[in-house]
Amino acid sequence: MRARVLLAPAAMALLVLSCATLGDEGPEGLNLPTSGVGPFRKLADDEVLGIAPYVLDGAGAKYREPSALALDADPSSARVALYVTATQNIKGVIHTAIMRTHADDARSFYGTSLDPTDGDAPALVLDAGAAWEEGNLHSPSVLRVGGVIYLYYAAAGGIGVATSTDGLTFTKRATPVLATDAPLTWETTPPTQPSVAVFPSGVWHMFYAAANSIGEATSPDGLTWTRADANPATPAIDPVFSPLPFDVTTLAPDASPPFDSGQVADPYVSPRVTAAGRLQVRVLYTGYDTLPGAASRQSAIGFAARYGDSGPLVRNATPVYSVGLHEAAPTLFEWSVGTMLYVNQDSSTTPVYPSIAAAIAPVTVTLNMPKTYATSP
Amino acid sequence: MRATLFFRASCATCAFACGLAASARANPLDAFGFGSRQTAMAGAVSADVHDFSANYYNPAGLALAQRMELSIGYMNVDQSLKINGLDSGVDPVRGLVGGLVAPGVIAGIPFAFGFAIHLPDDRLSRVRAEQQDQPRWELYDNRNQRLYLAASLAVSPWPWLQLGGGLSFMSSTTGSINISGQLDIFQSDDSQVRHSVDADLTAIRYPEFGARITPTKDWAVAVVYRGQFSLSLDLNATLQGNISSLTTAYYDLQTTSVNNFLPQQVVLGNSWEPVKGLHASFDLTWVNWSAYVPPVSDVNVVLNIPAPKGGWPAGITPPTTPAPTAILPIVMHDRIVPRVGVEWRAFHADHWEGFVRGGYEYDKTPIGAQTGETNYIDRDRHAFSLGLGGRAVDLIPELPRDLRLDVHAQLSELPTGTTLKASPADFIGDYTAGGHIWNVGVTLTAGF
Repeated sequence: MRARVLLAPAAMALLVLSCATLGDEGPEGLNLPTSGVGPFRKLADDEVLGIAPYVLDGAGAKYREPSALALDADPSSARVALYVTATQNIKGVIHTAIMRTHADDARSFYGTSLDPTDGDAPALVLDAGAAWEEGNLHSPSVLRVGGVIYLYYAAAGGIGVATSTDGLTFTKRATPVLATDAPLTWETTPPTQPSVAVFPSGVWHMFYAAANSIGEATSPDGLTWTRADANPATPAIDPVFSPLPFDVTTLAPDASPPFDSGQVADPYVSPRVTAAGRLQVRVLYTGYDTLPGAASRQSAIGFAARYGDSGPLVRNATPVYSVGLHEAAPTLFEWSVGTMLYVNQDSSTTPVYPSIAAAIAPVTVTLNMPKTYATSP
Repeated sequence: MRATLFFRASCATCAFACGLAASARANPLDAFGFGSRQTAMAGAVSADVHDFSANYYNPAGLALAQRMELSIGYMNVDQSLKINGLDSGVDPVRGLVGGLVAPGVIAGIPFAFGFAIHLPDDRLSRVRAEQQDQPRWELYDNRNQRLYLAASLAVSPWPWLQLGGGLSFMSSTTGSINISGQLDIFQSDDSQVRHSVDADLTAIRYPEFGARITPTKDWAVAVVYRGQFSLSLDLNATLQGNISSLTTAYYDLQTTSVNNFLPQQVVLGNSWEPVKGLHASFDLTWVNWSAYVPPVSDVNVVLNIPAPKGGWPAGITPPTTPAPTAILPIVMHDRIVPRVGVEWRAFHADHWEGFVRGGYEYDKTPIGAQTGETNYIDRDRHAFSLGLGGRAVDLIPELPRDLRLDVHAQLSELPTGTTLKASPADFIGDYTAGGHIWNVGVTLTAGF
């Protein structure tokens, strides 16, 4: 009798054992923390209409220097507007101006040449007119504060600003808000490529490029700007970010110099408060491996940051986006799915011209194939 | 006198433990216990265990078995671990637990053979070698997803001394993959490749020894040693391809990683029965975490693509050899884990006994502050356990002579803490992490 009693639970145990090991792979790291600035993965063929990773293309307009503006307050919305520099030929006068387009899915922008709909084109929203602009506008930086959209841009005489309530019709201020400051030793060229954000303190901060470095200015209202000094310990006003100096003689065999050892430019600033409550000022930038004007110059998108309202930026040695196609001028669109990075980079066609390409972070995110392009700019 | 001695020993070990702090989460058993009675007592049983779980807690305890026992049970661990307030999706740990004890006598000396198994529901083992900067719950995610299998022997040369030892088993993986063929860079559809795979699962054994001494009738002390093991994963890949009849490319990849590392441990335990029916136990476990090897792949790649005669066609730039992985060191500290357990025989009758159990365990994280590029996340752990047990002896002839049913519930609380990154340009940035873990289970034991 006891033997039978022994066999019964043993048989039951074996039966249960045989039903075990029926599991699946299981998730791998959900909701992982990130600074939200990459590294990025360029979009794949099945994530864009047209040719990946390009989302805005035009051989004549040569769209470049994008600036993204979220169109909805809802973080799950993928509606985004892009303000870009475009080459215009108006009555035989070739010059650059600011154009706008938009996408409902963060990828399928109205007016790209890959859209089979004839006649579509982004909307011209800002063109040169003032003397200090010398006929060309470029490097837009757009942000919304309250109900007003501020569009900062660069021209020959410095950095200007225009405002709008609908994002399409802008009113320019007559004079630049940040012009050349002759006493500054490091700003050997006029300030350009602005990027503006309002910090949690309510102070406006502008990061801009000049010479081969990046400087910073602050403003109480976005209109009156004062240059900031990254290092008050020195008498001069210092840039917040400069190329990484390195000694070529210390470079290991077969090693490449730092990707940003020649020039840093095209800042894109995006402040955030970390989970620990610290202000983290995140800046994406274009890093060049050689000085401006050098032959066979390579670029990549880098990430620098600091804690707090002021001070120099600290670089991350690893580029966040590097594809070897002269990628430059980063801008971000952060939504609930991930962070989209837009840059201009060489087109996939011959002859080569700049086009707007897109990438996404985290790299594990995959996007569904879009259905249609947006139907308005 | 004995009470004073026990009290002093416990106070001394408590003070020692609080000074050095603690942790021992190396596999599902280290982290969540083995068997319901033992888990309910927070694992403080090295001097008070004699069923199948003695294979893990103290093999010497097997020699205390009075009759052949067969145990079967189930444990379910749900992990609600969060980073920045969001669930990290750490897999549950659940599976069968069980084993047997077969006692006997040789030349008048009692001995026993034991066998124990933890068989996970989902997988026998899992390999995850993440990038070293990817945040992961280092001690709770992948490490506990594995099979535990052990066999032990124990003897009792004198009634006051039991000695035991055993082996636990795992397997490591060594493999290679070879790919060769034709790669057409102009018409990729015409590429043809052949591949072969050669993999080997090799057995790994690691030892465990234990001793138990009963200085008095109601006081027992124990010492246990658990060996260290490394579960490695070595993969080699070789690619040889003729590229469009232009040149032959050679690609050789070697990866080496330690997917699971169990540090050696030493346990000191004692158990005291101050009054009939009440057992109090206290264990200290030293864990050699400083020898820890992180589960990061060491990747070395050799890529050789000679240029064809006349150079590369326009527009084609051959890839260059990637730099080898630079593995950042992980800072781990040796820890001492205190465990306290109590078992009270709440009632008893002629054929029945009922037990109430409780326990507490404190694991101070062994992982150093993650202020740099690595993100091995962990937090201190407070584990509170409760359990109930019922025992029927010679109840009816149709049932086994000794039938025990034990249940347990354990709540582990990992207080939320903040990790501050030294570099503002860190890709991950600051984060908070914490959470809790529920562990419930049941074990049925039949003695014949």
